[in-house]
Amino acid sequence: MRQARGQAWRLALPIGLGLMVTACQVTIAFLFARIIVTLLGFASGGGWNDLAVAGGLMLLSAGLSVGQELAQQSAGEHARARIRAALFDRLLELGPADRRGVGEKASLLVDRVEALDGFFARWLPAMTLALLSPAAIAIIVWRADWVSALVLIAMGLLVPIAMAVTGIGAARESRRQLDVLGRLAGRFVDRLRGLATLVQFNRAEDEARALGEAAEEFRWRTMRVLRVAFLSSAMLELLSAFTLGYLAWRHGALLTGRGPTDPTLSLFCILMVPAFFAPLRAFSAAYHEAMSARGAAAELAPLLEAPPEAGLLLEEVPRRVAVVFNGVELLHAGAAAPALSRLTFALAPGEVLMLVGPSGAGKSSVLRLLMGFVRPTAGRIAINGQDVTRLRPAELRRLSSYVGQRAHIFGGTLRENIALARPEATEAEVLRAAEAARVMSFAADLPQGLDTRVGEGGHGISGGQAQRVALARAFLRDAPLVLLDEPTASLDPGTEAEVIEAIGRLCTGRTAIIATHSAALLGLSGRVLELGDRRLADVG
Amino acid sequence: MWADLARVLRLWAPRRASLVGALLVSMGSALSGVALLALAGQGVAAGLAAGGIFGLAALVWVRPLVLLRPMLRWGERMASHAAAFRALADTRVWFFRRLAERMPGGIGLRGSGDLLSRVIGDVDALDRLYLGGILPAGAGLAVLVAVLALLMGEPWLMLLVGLPLALALVLPLVLAPAATRAAQRAADHRGGLRAAVADPLAGLEDTLAANAEPRAMERLRTADRELMHSQRSLVRRSAWAGAAGGFLAQLAVLAALAWGLAGGTATAGMVVLALFLSVAAAEALGLMPRAGAALASAAAGARRLFEAADTAPPVEEPAAPAPLPASNELVLQGVRFGWRQDAPVLDGLNLTLREGERVAILGPSGAGKSTLAALLTRLAAPEAGTIRLGGTDISQLPAAELRTRIVVLSQQARLFDDTIAANLRLAAPGAPDAALWRALVKAGIADLVRSLPEGLETRCGEGGARFSGGEARRFALARALLPPAGILILDEPTTGLDAAAERAFLATLATACEGRSLLLITHRLTGDEPLDRVWRLAGGRLLPATA
Repeated sequence: MRQARGQAWRLALPIGLGLMVTACQVTIAFLFARIIVTLLGFASGGGWNDLAVAGGLMLLSAGLSVGQELAQQSAGEHARARIRAALFDRLLELGPADRRGVGEKASLLVDRVEALDGFFARWLPAMTLALLSPAAIAIIVWRADWVSALVLIAMGLLVPIAMAVTGIGAARESRRQLDVLGRLAGRFVDRLRGLATLVQFNRAEDEARALGEAAEEFRWRTMRVLRVAFLSSAMLELLSAFTLGYLAWRHGALLTGRGPTDPTLSLFCILMVPAFFAPLRAFSAAYHEAMSARGAAAELAPLLEAPPEAGLLLEEVPRRVAVVFNGVELLHAGAAAPALSRLTFALAPGEVLMLVGPSGAGKSSVLRLLMGFVRPTAGRIAINGQDVTRLRPAELRRLSSYVGQRAHIFGGTLRENIALARPEATEAEVLRAAEAARVMSFAADLPQGLDTRVGEGGHGISGGQAQRVALARAFLRDAPLVLLDEPTASLDPGTEAEVIEAIGRLCTGRTAIIATHSAALLGLSGRVLELGDRRLADVG
Repeated sequence: MWADLARVLRLWAPRRASLVGALLVSMGSALSGVALLALAGQGVAAGLAAGGIFGLAALVWVRPLVLLRPMLRWGERMASHAAAFRALADTRVWFFRRLAERMPGGIGLRGSGDLLSRVIGDVDALDRLYLGGILPAGAGLAVLVAVLALLMGEPWLMLLVGLPLALALVLPLVLAPAATRAAQRAADHRGGLRAAVADPLAGLEDTLAANAEPRAMERLRTADRELMHSQRSLVRRSAWAGAAGGFLAQLAVLAALAWGLAGGTATAGMVVLALFLSVAAAEALGLMPRAGAALASAAAGARRLFEAADTAPPVEEPAAPAPLPASNELVLQGVRFGWRQDAPVLDGLNLTLREGERVAILGPSGAGKSTLAALLTRLAAPEAGTIRLGGTDISQLPAAELRTRIVVLSQQARLFDDTIAANLRLAAPGAPDAALWRALVKAGIADLVRSLPEGLETRCGEGGARFSGGEARRFALARALLPPAGILILDEPTTGLDAAAERAFLATLATACEGRSLLLITHRLTGDEPLDRVWRLAGGRLLPATA
């Protein structure tokens, strides 16, 4: 909600237009009243002229209300765009440290930010208008009949009270409802990704039923929010109906001549009731949007308000790097045993280090520490003598070419996927990298070669091919530190031999750390470091 | 567009009772609003004419309505939302089932971010068909009929007041088709935004490793701008429609007054009634033109849902399924298949896998080994040749039953964001813990599970993120070993395992299979596998391997 501050000027336009609409409506009501009274023979003056003016004002009011709505939309757009960008920035900065699933993060960025729209586009202008418009109407009605005005003011004041009473519960409920929506979204993405697995075990039907139950829970929660939300709009309805009934009774009597008020003004007072409640109605509709926006904001706030990551910037990428691990320990939050304990080694510039050991021994952790995805819980990691934790993680990554175990292929062409590592690379350089990683040996057979589109998650190419694309990125990147996590795990021996030869070239003149199980990779010249089994270490 | 909406209504048929019930409550609520203002108006008008006595009688009737109207309004909203949500939940589940049926091999080129947007966003947009379209139309129609009936005494007045109101009622039908395109674009762009966000987040490590944050941000901004652009066009339409609705409702008042001015003082009572009726109708009918925008976004959502749901299934289910044969002998003859036209991956492939036999197929990545596994589980059908199980062509067998006989550990096997036990029980619902442990031991991962504080109840994280690649692979393997299927196809089962673990696993294959037929698809052999035969896949067919 703090994001709203400083943007007030954007709301001046919709509010101004809204007030002008009210002014038009008041004038139209007065003209209508005068015409009717003329018709009734109580007065003269209301005639075709009034009718023509009212018609003109109706057109003007319609135009103004269109303008108001568009101005509101524009204010909401700016606010959402700003928040969404800030949030995405933060999520990228947190990186793998944020354990939320992709579906949940996407839901935060798309759905919850969209949910904020009601706050900026409707709630903020409606709140101001709900104060100004009825006040203006009450003042005008006061001049006609002060008793009517008092009734209007009293009823108007009851509206926010009724809403606050019901709104407190709604805010809490809507937060819970958004939690459910987030989990529902996460579950859907998770299950849709693994659709093939579910089908294999004939469990798609059970999962469909479970999803139905989850949707049912969501419905149940939504209804609980709405039950309260609708109660407050029913209260508004009640107040409006009561006011109308009372004024009709009062002025029905007045009109017969028993009261001092001018008949035109009597009728005008009654006609003002719908106009008086219209902005309050808009306020009530927006109020519950604002409440659900508040629920969304509560979820977003910790992310948005966290201070940006501090750290030094890299002046330039050094050509040669030396790596030193000194008693490095890594303990994941909630894990019983450390992923790495007291690891010490030193690597001179240009040296190649093979990390071997059973799965789970912490080979990947060494690489992830050097990528800044995780921070060591104890010990010191130095590159060229400088503590890496002092660098901003994004800067640390500029030093390295990294191929993880589960290489992701982005939606787009093969070429775009390779060029990602260095967008400014020339066509020839991309081609060279693709050749070196043996991407060309399968891309050449594709109808569009490197321009073949591959889907999110790399559909359309096999696991081994995806890994070669990821390797091509490392070739193109041309960084002084090479970090490879099982680079040949899903390659056949023929391709593996070719790729290893290419990795050999990649590592020449660079410092490299390669986590591997492959005996063939160990054929590369370099030191071998065996990491112990963390579970055995734990027992011992 | 109308065809899509009609299909949605057919999907909602089982909820007809609650949907129609809520519509009736909604019409009653709208009519009570008309009655309230009509009585107030009549009270004033009659008061003017007869010195207040008759008028007060009318106003007495106002009192119960003052209470009844809010109650009906609340009831209407609760009933209609409850009915709409139920119908929507049904639609979600229907969509998931359809996808399971139409895309059994996975989501493919449609990014899952986009698919998610379809399910959550587009299904939610469907509620506007009912809440924003059908309900207001029903209420509007009831109000219009009531107004016309009350003004029946003066045909011209009825016509003048009724015409603008009727116009407001039909306006949405005129506006909707044009707005549908705008709504379709907005929904597409929301899907695009989700994909722009989900893709870099799904490949977060690779995005960060490439320092590609600025480009991911640029992509987000572009998608965001596109979304807002299309939303603005939708809002513009809705704003104009809303203004038109308000204008038409006031036009009815204006027409009543014009009629009165033309007719003189005698008509005043009727004019006042018409005036109050028009004000009452304004609330119900003034919002109607906006329903056009609502209908449009519902139709756009429906269009996209059906597009995905109507993807042709890769293999038709047999019309008259044959009974599952007793034998597990698998015979492939002259099988040809390619994912793309004129590029066959398999061509003239022959293979016999006798009951209990253990056979390996070797080949470089991309040679078509995984394609073979897809054909055997009927995720695709061969273009030529036959695949027989126990002498019966598998195209004659129901896919679900075929899958109880043939279990594949594919390269796409995925761990779900659930406990280890739940992930394993996917393959064998109701399996006792002891059976789970046996499978874990065979897959060589039991020790790890024992070392976890929560054991079998440990959550795996999305896609098994809690574990390393090799560990996740072994859980998937344990899961594939659980069901008592006669034929086991292991597609690169040892990816990500270290050499010692790989060797240990392959050496225990004989006990792991317990007499089942085994088709081991791999790019290399360690020499420790207890195999009966080894083939090499090259040029789309199998050759005896020499090594």
